[in-house]
Amino acid sequence: MKTVSSLLDEPWYERYKNISKLNIRSSIYDVTNRCNLRCKGCFFFSSGEHEVAAEENDVGKWHAFVTKEMDRGVNLAILIGGEPTLCLDRVEAFYKKLPTFCATNGLIKVPRDRFPDMMVGISLWGDAEDETILRGKDTFKISSANYAGDPHAYYLYTITPKQLGKTEKIIGKIRDVGLKVHMQLLSNDEKVDGFSWQPEELIAVRAEMDSMLDAYPETVISSKYYHEVITTGKMLGRSFGWMECPSVTEPLDKRNPRPKRLISFIRWSSELQTMHRCCTSETRDCSTCKDGAAHMSWVMVNKRAHIKTTKDLQNWIEVYEMFAKLYQFIPW
Amino acid sequence: MFVPAKCNSPKTKKHEFMSNDIKQTITRIAEIIINELKLEDVTPETFNPDLDLIDEVGVDSMDLATVALVLRDEYGIRIDEDDYPKLTSVRIIAQYILDKQNSKE
Repeated sequence: MKTVSSLLDEPWYERYKNISKLNIRSSIYDVTNRCNLRCKGCFFFSSGEHEVAAEENDVGKWHAFVTKEMDRGVNLAILIGGEPTLCLDRVEAFYKKLPTFCATNGLIKVPRDRFPDMMVGISLWGDAEDETILRGKDTFKISSANYAGDPHAYYLYTITPKQLGKTEKIIGKIRDVGLKVHMQLLSNDEKVDGFSWQPEELIAVRAEMDSMLDAYPETVISSKYYHEVITTGKMLGRSFGWMECPSVTEPLDKRNPRPKRLISFIRWSSELQTMHRCCTSETRDCSTCKDGAAHMSWVMVNKRAHIKTTKDLQNWIEVYEMFAKLYQFIPW
Repeated sequence: MFVPAKCNSPKTKKHEFMSNDIKQTITRIAEIIINELKLEDVTPETFNPDLDLIDEVGVDSMDLATVALVLRDEYGIRIDEDDYPKLTSVRIIAQYILDKQNSKE
């Protein structure tokens, strides 16, 4: 039987032990149905999730809800939207009790006197031209002014096919404002013309992501194995899809056989009672889904499958470390 | 001479019984873990009962939940989820099961 220590040298074994008992249990929360942008390709609006349920407006109920979530074993709250910063009192309900990550477009600055160390992920969809096409404005100008040098913020750079050859310019801009960046790929749910991935583009973007990680190791939080998995949709010869995805809401998960999955994971609507099927849109084709968190989690929950060769296990460690850094379980 | 011998005898037998009991339990738990987690290149007899399941075998909480269900059916005990972090080896799991069974008696 292959054991961890038989595959790793001492430095790698120490890295493994630093993460092996973290036991992260995340769930995702829609904080609001509203947003101050309307981006083409945003699954939340394109799939009508903003209309699934009304928002819960009683902040007291949000506080009680968070307590129940903690009782359920959740130890990481991932806040998405709509735009969570439109409802900071709801965000605070999580932040006061739980390790909390807040996704935002960065147009409204999270007040650091209320949220001193909450990790903030700022969405960015490309250069000024693409941002204007897809989001109606170049958000970087505003978000970078709001968060420059913030040690608890990073950019979530959604790469589109039109960004091929341009990523270095963006990553350079992010480095220059003293922030870090994690790269993910656009899942073009709305089929916006010219923004759907072709096979040759996925090969090219993988190479570009790899070279950005090599060139900017202090700025880019990523791993080459993650690049491989998300661009190919393959892991250890298996294909990503509905029967493999780990990020399905547990009480709604009727799959048989049940794959390795996130324990206790639920994605809640902002009404706090309705559950969404998974971490992204229910209308999305799982076989072409490029959701970054789902692919990271896919690797993470399949730990034992990676205890085969030294390289496989090192790949697993790097992906887990990447996730743990992005959600502040270990330092950058 | 006679009195202590009388007193010691049942204790020794009980000790031997317990010793055999834990050996059998260890082997059976190893078998369950191998089968449930589809571990390769190991048998219940060669499975080191002191091997750290998390640090060395890569067992995670979903694996433990899977194993816990089988153990519940086999031994009639419930493993609290809060106890998962303590169950780091086959020997510790075996002792945990025996302790739970004894406390029911």
